[in-house]
This record gives sequence, C-alpha cells and structure tokens, in this order.
Amino acid sequence: MGPNQFFNSDNKDRDTIMLAALTGNVGKIGGNIGSYAGNYRTALFNGCPQYINENPFDIELDPTKPARPKAYWTAESAHYYNHEDHPLKVGNTILTGKTHMPCPTKSLWFANANSILGNVKWHYNQVFNALPKIEMIAVNEWWWSTSCEWADVVFGVDSWAELKHPDMTASVTNPFLIVFPRTPIERIFNTIGDIEVYSLVASKLAELTGDQRFNDYWKFVNENNTDVYLQRILDNSTNTKGYNFSELHAKALEGIPALMNSRTTPKNVGYDQLTDSTPWYTKSGRLEFYREEDEFIDAGENLPVHREPVDSTFLEPNIIIAPPHEALRPKGPEDYGAKRDDLSCETRCGRNVVYTWEEARKTAHPLVKDGFKFIFHTPKYRHGSHTTPIDTDMVAILFGPFGDIYRHDKRSPFVTEGYVDINPTDAKELGINDGDYVWIDPDPEDRPFRGWQNDKRNYEVARMMCRARYYPGTPRGVTRMWFNMYAATPGSQQGAKEREDGLAKNPRTNYQAMFRSGSHQSATRGWLKPTWMTDSLVRKGMFGQGIGKGFAPDIHCPTGAPREAFVKISKAEPGGIDGKGLWRPVDLGIRPRNESDAMKRYLAGEFMKRK
Amino acid sequence: MARVNNWQLGREMSYWYPEARPQKQFAAVFDTNKCIACQTCTLACKTTWTSGKGQEYMLWNNVETKPYGFYPLAWDLNLLEMLGGQEWDETGERPVYQGSTIFESAPAGERVLGWRPEDQDYSYPNVGEDDCAGQVDGGASLAASHDMAWFYYLARICNHCTYPACLASCPRGSIYKRPEDGIVLVDQGRCRGYQECVRGCPYKKVFYNAMTGTSEKCIACFPKMETGIQPQCFVNCIGKIRMAGYLNTPENAREDNPLDYLVHIKKVALPLFPQFGLEPNVYYIPPVHVPTSFTSQMFGPGVGKAIETYRSAATDSDLAGLLGLFGSSERVMTRWRRIGETVTGLDDDGNVLVNVPLKEPVHIRPAYDKLYQVTRSNCP
Ligand code: SF4
Ligand code: SF4
Repeated sequence: MGPNQFFNSDNKDRDTIMLAALTGNVGKIGGNIGSYAGNYRTALFNGCPQYINENPFDIELDPTKPARPKAYWTAESAHYYNHEDHPLKVGNTILTGKTHMPCPTKSLWFANANSILGNVKWHYNQVFNALPKIEMIAVNEWWWSTSCEWADVVFGVDSWAELKHPDMTASVTNPFLIVFPRTPIERIFNTIGDIEVYSLVASKLAELTGDQRFNDYWKFVNENNTDVYLQRILDNSTNTKGYNFSELHAKALEGIPALMNSRTTPKNVGYDQLTDSTPWYTKSGRLEFYREEDEFIDAGENLPVHREPVDSTFLEPNIIIAPPHEALRPKGPEDYGAKRDDLSCETRCGRNVVYTWEEARKTAHPLVKDGFKFIFHTPKYRHGSHTTPIDTDMVAILFGPFGDIYRHDKRSPFVTEGYVDINPTDAKELGINDGDYVWIDPDPEDRPFRGWQNDKRNYEVARMMCRARYYPGTPRGVTRMWFNMYAATPGSQQGAKEREDGLAKNPRTNYQAMFRSGSHQSATRGWLKPTWMTDSLVRKGMFGQGIGKGFAPDIHCPTGAPREAFVKISKAEPGGIDGKGLWRPVDLGIRPRNESDAMKRYLAGEFMKRK
Repeated sequence: MARVNNWQLGREMSYWYPEARPQKQFAAVFDTNKCIACQTCTLACKTTWTSGKGQEYMLWNNVETKPYGFYPLAWDLNLLEMLGGQEWDETGERPVYQGSTIFESAPAGERVLGWRPEDQDYSYPNVGEDDCAGQVDGGASLAASHDMAWFYYLARICNHCTYPACLASCPRGSIYKRPEDGIVLVDQGRCRGYQECVRGCPYKKVFYNAMTGTSEKCIACFPKMETGIQPQCFVNCIGKIRMAGYLNTPENAREDNPLDYLVHIKKVALPLFPQFGLEPNVYYIPPVHVPTSFTSQMFGPGVGKAIETYRSAATDSDLAGLLGLFGSSERVMTRWRRIGETVTGLDDDGNVLVNVPLKEPVHIRPAYDKLYQVTRSNCP
C-alpha cells in the first residue's frame, strides 16, 4: 500500500529488518518483514532478458532455440523526468550519483502505466512545466486515462480480458505462475494487442529503411506465436525451467494455476541464505545494518537512525532524530554551501541536521505559521489498484462514501468523487461539516506547480477541491486521500461548464475526472533522497544472482516519496445537494459525530434486551 | 394469520401464511471475519443481473461497513427503532425471543411492520466505509479486542427467508418461495409494482424497477444452483468468506452437511436480525473483535458462544477443516468430511468435488533441481 514509498523508508526498513534479524525472524516461514511492491515481480522471471534483451543484430528465428541476449539499452529512473529533469542540487553540491541520471527526457512511450504521467506525483508541475519540453508522448491504453489526455499519440489496445496474444506474470506475495491464455472473448472496440503496436511500428521502420531485422525482431508476434518468447523466458528463469508453455496455456484455459518453483512455497526470502549459507546481496555477503559508504556517512545514516518525513510532519521536516553518537558525523548544510535554516523543498532533501528528541519536539514545520495544519497521505485503495482508474460507473459508486449513480448533486464531477478523510474534531474546528467541499492547499513554494502564482488559468485546473469525510479512524492532524483518482484537466473542467449534465467529462475525449479541480497529486512533489542515489551501494541486480553497484531501476533509485505532503484545509461549499444544507447522511443522524439519539442507541446495542 | 414455528426465536409466531417448508432450503454461511469489503461480490452480481435500465441503483448483493454503513441509508436502524423492545429470555435451555416480530407488530390493516425508503436513500451505497465506532484522536494502539474503535464488514444478499416478509406483504401473491429449494422469487408477469414488498422486507432486498414497473430481487443465481454451482457472489469472493448449500431444520441436522454443522451443531453461524421473525437463511460468523452488545443486537443471543467456538478452531480440526473448504470449489458442497489432514467437499451422491489440506503445506524444493539442471531460489 505504499509504506515503502515514503522518503524515509530505507531507514525505516533497515530498522525493522534489523529487529527481525536480531530476533531470529529472517528467513523463516511466518517471519520476515515486508510491504507489497508489485515492481519486484519482474525479477521473478529472471529469464526475461531472453525477450527484452535479445540482440537486435543477432536475432534467433528458430522457435526451438534460445535467443542470445545482449542489452543495447540502459535504464533511467523516471524520478528525474518527474523532477523537471534535474538532479538533486543542494547549495553548490550535486547529490545525485553519476550512475543515476544519464540524460534528459526526449520522448515517452509507455503502456498501461498511468502513474508515469496522469497519476504521477506533482502532476500539475509535470504537465504544465515539464511536458512542453518533451518531444513526443505516446501511450498504449485500454481506457482513456489522464495520461491519454496529455499524450500526442494514444494507441487503443486490448484489455487483459481481450488478450489475443497470451501473457504471463507472477506476484511477490503469492506462489502462482499466472498465465493469461488467448481469450475467445471478442474485442469490444477496434483495438489491437499491446505487443502488436510495437511490431507494427517496427514493420513500418522495416519498410522505410529496407532493413528486414525490424520485422525479424517481432517475428513470432507477426506469426501470432508469442508462445515462443514466453517459452524462452520459462526455460531461462530459475523457478520456471521445466515448464512447457503450451501445457500451462491449456491448463490456464481451464482455470488451473501453476506454481512458481521457488526454493520454498510459500516463498520465504532468506531461506536460501539461512539454510544453504548462500550469501546475501551485499558487499560482505552478510546482512549489513551499518552502512560504511561515504554517501551514508555524509547523510548521517551510516547507523540506522530516524528521519522525520520530508514533508508530512508537524516538526521540522527531514531532520535526523538521534542522541549524540561519535559515529554520526553528517555533512551539514554549510558543508554543501547551503544555509542551515534553508528549508526550501529542494535543499531540504539533502539537509542533514541531527536533533535529539528533546530538541526536535520543539521544532515546527515551516508552514505551521501560515495556518498549515495537516499531514496529507495518499496511500492506495482497495477499489482501484495503482494506476488502474475508477472510470466505470459500477465501480465508481462504491469508491468511497460519495457514490451516487443518479448524481442528485449536480456539482459532483462523476457518479463518485475524490474526498479527504479528516478527523472529525479537526474538521469541526475549521467549521467544516461532514460531506462539505473543501480546498486543500499544499506548500505554495512549488505546488500545485511552479509558477502557479502567475498562471491563473492553469491554477484553476490544478487547485485541489474535494469532499471532506469525517473519519474517526484518523488521528488529529493526519488526513488521507486515496491515490487512484482521475485528475481534473482543462478538458474535464470545460465539460463541467458546458455540458448540460455538468459532468466533468471532456467533450472532446470523453475523459471523466473524479475531481472538480485538482487531484490528490496537487499536493505531492518529487523528493529525491541522497542515500537512494549513491554510486557505491552494492546491491542485487534486477535478474539473477549477480550483484552490482549504484543505480538499478526499482532496486537502488529514488522513490520520489509520492505519498506525503503538509497542507492547509479550508471550507469551500456546503455538502447538501447543490450546496444547500447538510449532506443527507448527516441530516439523517447516521454519521460519526453527528449521531441521532437512535443512532447512539444502535451503536450501544441498546435495541436488544437480555434476561 | 397462522401460527408457525420459528426455531431462531425458540418459539412459535404469527405469519400471514401457514408453515410450508420447502423440500430443501437454500442457505449460506458468511464468515464476517474474513471479508475485506473489496466489493467483488457486489460487482459480480451487478454485472450479471442488474446492468439494465432502471436497475442502476440496485445492489442485490451489497457490502457495508458496520456500524456506519447502510444500504439503503439507515435500513436496519429505522426498523430497530420502529420495532421497540426486543427482549430475549435466556433463562431456559435455549433463548426465547419475547419481543414481537415485524409480523406480530404490524399496524392494523397491514401485514408487516415496514417502511419504504425514499429514492435518495439508495444514494451513497458505500457510506460509512471503514468508519469506526469511537474516535481515534491520537495515541491509539491496536489491541486484540478493539473496544475503543471497531468496525466490520457485513456482506448482504436476500436471505431467502423461511417466512419472507416480501412474500407476505404482496397483495397480489406475486412473490413465491420455490418448494424445491426455498429460493424466493418475484413473478415478473404478476407483479404490478405496488412496492409493498419493498416496504415489507426488513433487509431492503427487493427493489422497484421504474422502467419495467415491477419489483426485482436476488434470485440466488438459481440457474447456477440448479446445476450444482454456487452463485456469482460466492464463487467470485476474494476473501473466501462464503459457502452456499442447503440447510435442514435443527431437528434434522446432519453432521455431514456443512451448513448444518456450522449453524446447528457448532452454532458458530447466526442469522441476521432473527428478532425480525423471518427465519432468514444467510448465517453469519460474527466478528470476533466487536463488542458483543452490538453484534448480539444484530445476530441474536448466540454471539458470545459462537465467538468462543470460532476461536477454538485452532484446536478443533473439524471446524478448522470445514472453514478451509470455503471458497475451495465452485460447486455446491452439500456433504463434507475430514479424514486426517484432508478435508473433502462432496455432492449428494458422494462424488468428491474437492480435497483441501487441513493446513497449507510448505514445500521445500532441493536447492538444485537435477532433472532440469537449475537452481531453485527464493530470490531469482
Ligand atoms: S430478505 Fe427480504 S426479499 Fe429476501 S426473502 Fe427475506 S423478505 Fe424477501
Ligand atoms: S467478495 Fe467476499 S471478501 Fe470481497 S466484499 Fe464480497 S464478501 Fe467480502
């Protein structure tokens, strides 16, 4: 759900895993510590290079033979693209390692990954300030996501339910090898397979250049026999070698799953190291909890310490809280040529200031003086996964408490809408009723986008407005908004103004927003943490047992901390239908902190009597 | 009014028609402790049965967070308030309900005590999601019993009641209970849309369709049940909280019928608002972490014991084994058995439908697979 996506989570994870190690809980069934991170499923198929790295100058056309991989590409972290293509610079010092940021972004082409653009953190900065510098944006999608709204080219592709080319995947948290068989279901729209988009582009290139290798590279796609590529991956993956794809496919058609043949089922990371004494993927081969690299010493994180969140805290952000210790000798702001009291967003990322708890508790977030009061978290939600949007009405009415299929309140952007969960006492203090519309304003320094002060038109699109829900389960000062909602765009706002039904639906594209204005990404930004950008950290490679140093995508690179902000919340409009009176559930007395007498008796179980 | 036996109340009661139990009764057990409120069941039903015009607002299956979730708004709260004192006498061998049912407290000239939701009460079908009772202002921590702040998920379909209030309310006799399986249906040809059933059903599981001018409701996916396959909301349940089958009356309970075993023998699954008097046939394993004052109001006086029994599953291999059969097969398992470490679901003819291990097995593979000449690793 994203606890691994906070700014300080490398520290947090090192602490908790150290605890597990000290108590003998690593590598045992029922032990270990982890949070779900879907990205790591790629590594489960370590034979992937057979497909993604097949040597384009030495293509294997015999379906029974393996490819000869040779990578002609290097990866680049999307977090710099999401940072206006800048490395982290604090004072006069660059804190992004050389292995991390090879070049600025020229073009983007992605598939079913709305988080790259539409649902990216600091979304409005991305679209208003970064995109104009990018030459081409192409998106393969099966629904019209926010990314499509901002793309130059959109390829309509099959949904998973319509796959005509089989595929397979696995998950880090369950033991199955999941095969998507060719479906007999007819396509709903005039779409093609995701993989065919690439093969067709390649065949055009073959035509233009006369070089047949463009076609050869996609030979088995063109022959409707992608099974060959899948079989090659199976044959070369540690835990799937021995499987025959056509057998798996036949079983998948009947709904029979296969297991990943990992060392243990259930998979229990550390079992191999514990039982067979195979080395961990570190310099010493042991679990390492002291970090001796210069970058970590400079950051004051050679020892596992606590760092306050980079934005979502009431205290001075990103400070290290630790008692004095001779090993803790971080480079302070002055060492980098910055001022000690400079808490601007960029400088703050590389600010290494150590306080004891006694000192820390007396500090405050710099925005507190301006009426900012709330930590704002944006975790993921059960009704939409990661980049998967909520754009079908049947799903949408169940997305949160404001679903209403008939849209009695014509202000609603859709049959549901974005909302923030707020502690009822906090809301009452601000004169906000359950169900009211509120404004949520983040740090004006650079959000919702740099330069908003002089750009009224775009600010109208980007400023976050949503419903507030009284949520008794959140502590005072801590608010939450879900991650998976379609942002307002110029088109959605045009729809809300021009359409008779008032839907925030782009008249030109039918894009449907879940906000009247802004998005949960109006408050977030890309934060870069120096210890995630080192050139010296030894870590596992993406595939197989090799280890390397420095950048590796999703292994050693920033998270960007997409889930945190510190915000100000103020009332915008009353929650009752069309802005009159109270939201109906409040009126009925069935909401937390607004209970009728009957509701109070209900909660206490007083309708039943026992003798 | 006839006198009928309602075993859930431990007594006879008045009902509009005489007692006429079906040859077998469709029934289900839902384990509330395993529900995650993903609403997959809701969508499985909606995409199958209610995607048409006039059905937009209908959720034959819905899942609400208790205590603040309601679909339609305030549905149970309203009736509990109307019904007044709901007293159980627990001094005898088994509890006897001494309050009155919705049939017994029907106002003069009406067949049941009911109310009809307004159009707007069907808005916000997921209101209250994850809202807890009590307020976490800070400094809170989780304890085994969340007395301070609790909530749970209540998945609901039509209860295919033994004494349906919808059926009793209909002045045209358009609602019938199938003698072969007890499934309650609205005859679309007879219905004239008076909506007395909507008013009468305390669970608000009949819905008026303004496009067809008739009322509709959950049909327990009878075309599937007739061929031995569980309904859509059961087979799609992510949490594997559900088991459909047929329930006998307590005196005819069979140990090898999974539902009889849970409802009558172990008494771990309880009816929803038994005090309404309908003898509803969806049974709930109550949430273990919620104050029993609230859950007893909802599931009757057996809650405390049911929780005790449920907790004993750790040392009760039969109970644990049967709970492990939930969600293990699409088929209706009308019989079950456990032999050693294997739990088996069977059909009426004794055909094995599924075998499930009592405990999830741990497989440890050799570090090197000689046959395929490959290492097997947990970090590939
Ligand atoms: S739950 Fe309601 S609709 Fe279903 S049988 Fe009982 S009274 Fe009728
Ligand atoms: S599918 Fe199952 S787990 Fe999900 S909400 Fe429905 S009953 Fe609960």
